[in-house]
Amino acid sequence: MKKQTKRICFLILCCVSLAFALCACDQGKESSGDETLPLKVNNVDELTGSKIGVQLGTTGDIYVSDYEGDDAGTIIERYNKGNDAVQALKQDKIDAVVIDEEPAKAFVSANPELVILDEEFADEFYAICVSKDNPELTASINSALATLTENGTLDRIKKNYTGTDTEKGQLPYEKKDVERPNGKLVVATNAQFPPYEYYQDGKIVGLDIDMMQAVCDELGMELAIEDMEFDSIINAVQSGKADVGAAGMTVTEDRLKNIDFTDSYTNAKQVILVKDPNTLVQKLSLTEKLEQNFVTEGRWKYIAKGLGNTLIITIFAALIGIVLGFFVAIVRSWHDKNGDLNILNFICKLYLTVIRGTPAMVQLLIIYYVIFASVNVNKIVAAVIAFGINSGAYVAEIVRSGIMSIDNGQFEAGRSLGLNFTQTMKSIILPQAFKNVLPALANEFIVLIKETSISGYIGLADLTKGGDIIRSITYEPLFPLLAVAIVYLVIVMFLSAGVSKLERRLASSDRK
Amino acid sequence: MTENNTDNPILIKVSDLRKSFGEVNVLNGIDTTFRKGDVVAIIGPSGCGKSTFLRSLNLLEVPTSGTVEFEGVNITDKSVDINKMREKIGMVFQQFNLFPNMTVKENIMLAPVKLGKLSKEEASAKADELLARVGLPDKADEYPNMLSGGQKQRIAIARSLAMQPDIMLFDEPTSALDPEMVGEVLSLMKQLAEDGMTMIIVTHEMGFAREVSNRVMFICDGVIAEENDPQTFFNEPKNPRLKDFLSKVL
Ligand SMILES: Nc1ncnc2c1ncn2[C@@H]1O[C@H](COP(=O)(O)OP(=O)(O)OP(=O)(O)O)[C@@H](O)[C@H]1O
Ligand SMILES: [Mg+2]
Repeated sequence: MKKQTKRICFLILCCVSLAFALCACDQGKESSGDETLPLKVNNVDELTGSKIGVQLGTTGDIYVSDYEGDDAGTIIERYNKGNDAVQALKQDKIDAVVIDEEPAKAFVSANPELVILDEEFADEFYAICVSKDNPELTASINSALATLTENGTLDRIKKNYTGTDTEKGQLPYEKKDVERPNGKLVVATNAQFPPYEYYQDGKIVGLDIDMMQAVCDELGMELAIEDMEFDSIINAVQSGKADVGAAGMTVTEDRLKNIDFTDSYTNAKQVILVKDPNTLVQKLSLTEKLEQNFVTEGRWKYIAKGLGNTLIITIFAALIGIVLGFFVAIVRSWHDKNGDLNILNFICKLYLTVIRGTPAMVQLLIIYYVIFASVNVNKIVAAVIAFGINSGAYVAEIVRSGIMSIDNGQFEAGRSLGLNFTQTMKSIILPQAFKNVLPALANEFIVLIKETSISGYIGLADLTKGGDIIRSITYEPLFPLLAVAIVYLVIVMFLSAGVSKLERRLASSDRK
Repeated sequence: MTENNTDNPILIKVSDLRKSFGEVNVLNGIDTTFRKGDVVAIIGPSGCGKSTFLRSLNLLEVPTSGTVEFEGVNITDKSVDINKMREKIGMVFQQFNLFPNMTVKENIMLAPVKLGKLSKEEASAKADELLARVGLPDKADEYPNMLSGGQKQRIAIARSLAMQPDIMLFDEPTSALDPEMVGEVLSLMKQLAEDGMTMIIVTHEMGFAREVSNRVMFICDGVIAEENDPQTFFNEPKNPRLKDFLSKVL
């Protein structure tokens, strides 16, 4: 184990020096010339023929899609998060980002090299989306919004987030101390959209969140926030995973086909965000960057909590995978040896084909949004089940190959002594098969732990998502991603070390 | 050792036993009985169905038709718990088939303990006794792959004996052994026979068959072509195929 620890230390050292090196080249790219460079895009007309970034599924996406495929060669790049689009803009991968005004302002204040063009792109209205099956809820939220508008609460909340510099932060909404007899209101959002919803001090805050809290106070309900990808929100509301969606969501024709909206609670603009190549960017030193990414507001906790979730998912999914995998492998071997159990064997084969023939991500989404659509299931439980079922298919084939690698004479010796099929399998075949396939099994679990990184797609705050959240706050991709990568690497190395130890122990019966 | 057992109770009765693998007919109607105390040697050319016949007796091969009765129970009947029957029918394989992941003692103790025949302590004592009986008391804690072929086969016999079977089936128990190790296994088997164990032995060891068995069976093309006491069998063979076979192996 000591050697292992040394190796891991060495590895982390390598990563850190890599970080230094990357920072250094970052610094080198600073622009220094005296002449003023032009902006790549100066107005709406100049969007034609440029590379435009948008957040997938936003109204910005819908509007600029009209440009797509035009003769001028306009290219639309769609990102899962507004923040990813902004990162791309900063790195000159795209020319402009079309995005809602308020998040654009937030991005500009955090990234001085960005500017918002004076000419706005479009006007629009935000509203809360509610399932078409639930007109009563739409009505009661509407009446709550009316009350909040009348008594000025809504106005104060808006000023607190989008007002002038002197107004901002001055009028925080205080959750009211009222009876909440009417149950829970689950609100789907995408907390990467400041100032409407974003992470601060480990909590999701923002205009929409305060507004929903105020609505809940009016309705006598308990507020529960579910963070997910923006383009999953409507699905979540439709399927009953969430009661409403509040995510700076604009009312559009297409959306109205699938979902109802309440009255609008605020209006907003779509603006064009570009990079000003003349701004000299104040570069942070390495320690400042480390501090900004991990120390400020205890941001390392996003990674720590994410790691906890990743480990929980992996461990329980692995357990399900082993049980399921062994079961399927035994059914298949039983069928091969005894010729019966045809139906069960068919089901097992179907399971293997379907699971191994489709991406884990699709399986995860199907399990969460389709199979558990009407059940209020914990995301971690859904992920454990999805990854467990997925892993079971691979474990099954590994174990089956292990069983087939054992000489049939072993099986016959067991049976001739009077042991039944199951006893022979359990006492004689599986222990030997397990030993033979241990490296393959360990490999499967190493794959599994990395595969859980797609959990973010159902809004689960796993390790990868933890890094993502930091990234969305600090606009700094290198350190959060590097930290996440190192954590995965260390887990995998410890796992590998544990397996070789186990292998050595199992091999003791082979020693000559 | 050629005493007649005709008064002893019947252990196995085989009636019109047939077995085919797809198109290939391997056993073409075998009728015979084995009585308590019998030591029967089965000989015959390669591929004629000796192993298939032997393995049909404990249903490692499921017969295509015909019946095998063991101690009065038709074990080819699907409703019979074959595992219970196999507890009483020991089997020793050409390739030993010891469990490589267990020590010698664990190999011997496994079945009696798992099947609730003996407690762990009883099984351990039984294993020690059997190890002494097969002459390997010092190998209890070794793993099989540290043993010679002859030692492995003696352990395999001990493992089989631990279940206290009423009959033992041997499928060419010495064919996989180096010549210098054949003797130790044969003398153990002879010892067993002298202790009154009922044994059916597929073998190419003609000397052993002649000396130890009370009956020799010649299987050819899936039928018992000739069957007799060893004296008559080897000295006055009648079947031309047997004469031919004996002229080659003797
Ligand atoms: N599982 C099987 N499937 C198909 N054919 C088989 C199978 N087992 C045995 N056979 C065939 O049945 C015939 C008899 O085989 P068996 O093993 O009983 O012969 P044997 O007399 O024991 O020969 P040997 O002296 O070589 O051991 C052979 O032709 C063999 O190829
Ligand atoms: Mg054979």
